[in-house]
Amino acid sequence: LLWTAQRTISTASRRQFENKVPEKQKLFQKGNGIPVHLKCGIADTLLYRAIMILTFGGTAYSIYQLAVASFPKKLD
Amino acid sequence: MTHQTHSYHMVNPSPWPLTGALSAFLMTSGLIMWFHFNSLILLALSLLTNTLTMYQWWRDIVRESTFQGHHTPTVQKGLRYGMILFILSEALFFMGFFWAFYHSSLAPTPELGGSWPPTGIHPLNPLEVPLLNTSVLLASGVSITWAHHSLMEGNRKHTLQALLITIMLGLYFTLLQVSEYYEASFTISDGIYGSTFFVATGFHGLHVIIGSTFLIVCFMRQLTFHFTSNHHFGFEAAAWYWHFVDVVWLFLYISIYWWGS
Repeated sequence: LLWTAQRTISTASRRQFENKVPEKQKLFQKGNGIPVHLKCGIADTLLYRAIMILTFGGTAYSIYQLAVASFPKKLD
Repeated sequence: MTHQTHSYHMVNPSPWPLTGALSAFLMTSGLIMWFHFNSLILLALSLLTNTLTMYQWWRDIVRESTFQGHHTPTVQKGLRYGMILFILSEALFFMGFFWAFYHSSLAPTPELGGSWPPTGIHPLNPLEVPLLNTSVLLASGVSITWAHHSLMEGNRKHTLQALLITIMLGLYFTLLQVSEYYEASFTISDGIYGSTFFVATGFHGLHVIIGSTFLIVCFMRQLTFHFTSNHHFGFEAAAWYWHFVDVVWLFLYISIYWWGS
């Protein structure tokens, strides 16, 4: 059980922001074995895949550029 | 017995340290490609992957703390040590640039005309926009303290108002500095004066932008009820960082803008 301390003294406000923290706490505390960086579902997975493709792809590209730069064309 | 019997946080395995390191590699390679081969693609990729790493890493920390409750007092103590040490490292970073400034300005070489400011350099008037900038940052230090006290007292509305004022002041400072950079009669390539001025104030300006971003994140977290009246370390870390940025400016103002003119 997680103690949730008082988060707000509610006063009348124009923008009605609801406190969604308890819902999030329930979602992220599900004992489903999913690591925290993937626990919010499909959006997490897509973002994870995107960054993996970008970083590993970029690394491969930079090593390729290194290979190209290592063999400069002779100027005739 | 499947639950932990200690108060530390055993973090889930995470890919972000790896993607962060790779983005740093892409950044250095990207700079080489830009400087020597006139290609910006790797650099752009590095900035994107770096931003994505920071977003996801800090998003996960919010999940682990606010949503999963892993930030016990023990863990929070470690985070406090960490933030203090980080700010200390940044202070040392700036000390290097102040060393460079004083080294050059205390004994100006004959090439500079034997004077500081060097011959031909017309420094900015310290009593004009730089003084306004000083008052803006000092005021933002007051407003962020008000925000903290409001947060500790459980006053949601005042916390949001004071945080917003702090952010506005930070943005105002940034805009004023950009206009000063544009209006200055000297550039970064105007000898050692230009180098010390723009590198020191430039890195400071970058830290103002970083600090403002941190404060905006805190504002959004306060809007969405993440902070409680007695547990809000993210906010405290942002406040410490903001005060640090303010103090660096005071040293810059006194050394470079005032004494250096």
